[in-house]
Amino acid sequence: MQRTEASIRNIFFVFLKMGTFAFGGVYSMLAFFEKELVNKRKWLSHEDFAESVVIGQLTPGPPIINTGIFIGYRLKKLKGAITTVIGQVLPSFILILVIAYLYISYNDIPLIRSLLKGIGAAVVGLISSVVYNMSRKFLKDYKSILIAIAIFLCLAVFKINPIILIVISGIAGVIVYRKEQS
Amino acid sequence: MIPLLQQEIVEHYHWLTNKEFIDSIAMGQITPGPLTIMNAFIGFKIFGTWGAIGAIVSSYLPSIIVVTIVSHYYLQFRNSWIVNSSFKGIRPAVIGLLAAVAITLSRESIIDVPTGAIAVGSFAAIAFTKTDPTFVILGAGALGALLY
Repeated sequence: MQRTEASIRNIFFVFLKMGTFAFGGVYSMLAFFEKELVNKRKWLSHEDFAESVVIGQLTPGPPIINTGIFIGYRLKKLKGAITTVIGQVLPSFILILVIAYLYISYNDIPLIRSLLKGIGAAVVGLISSVVYNMSRKFLKDYKSILIAIAIFLCLAVFKINPIILIVISGIAGVIVYRKEQS
Repeated sequence: MIPLLQQEIVEHYHWLTNKEFIDSIAMGQITPGPLTIMNAFIGFKIFGTWGAIGAIVSSYLPSIIVVTIVSHYYLQFRNSWIVNSSFKGIRPAVIGLLAAVAITLSRESIIDVPTGAIAVGSFAAIAFTKTDPTFVILGAGALGALLY
């Protein structure tokens, strides 16, 4: 896929937009990343996107911020990395100062509870769409389908730590796909 | 992160009461992005706006340093066969992980017919049309406010 160049300004505004509207926790942000960076702007390929999700998970700290830092670093080195953090964090930082002020004055915020109920449900739809898009892209042979199902069961049923699962699947990849590489 | 913060801020330094700490988690959840932003609230409670700025800079600085170093070395080695083939295994694994996350989230958030409809509607809008996720989030929030 053809990738296009990004400038620091563009990176800032794209991450600012995602930081403003990705309500409903970190998982809604993944759908934003895919839609904005892969489908719309074409700064990343689907493979790059999957890679940055993994790097975000494997490094210490909030995974979605780390995914952003990796993407920023890829696009524009250290400047890009810092830009993604500022863009992502600034809107919720301002919002939380406003809420903190209101909280200290009034002590409760009921409207937000009902807003969140709707958004919580939408996030399930958003994350499913990422699963759907990635499946169409990456599940091409029976080996990859088997890995996907096995890892799904390990997390959904057996609650095994995701970092361990990523490491195991990496080792499985080396064993299974070793021959095709050489 | 939560147990660690609770230990330090409530039990050790007594900067916040337990109720204030629980409320700060709720605030971290309602704002966009990761929960870590709750540290800004804790900082604000203790030391005003500068406390908030200090808390947030020190929360994200380690990430910027560590991930930048990891990215630098990773990008040098990404074309080696061992990285390539391990990512061939990891990519389908990510799909499995995200699918499991979707199931866990749906147990909490899909509690009746309207929330189910919102979830299906948002999936269809993002997966099959060019709709921007912004509209989906805003629309779902508005529906939530109207219905509940």
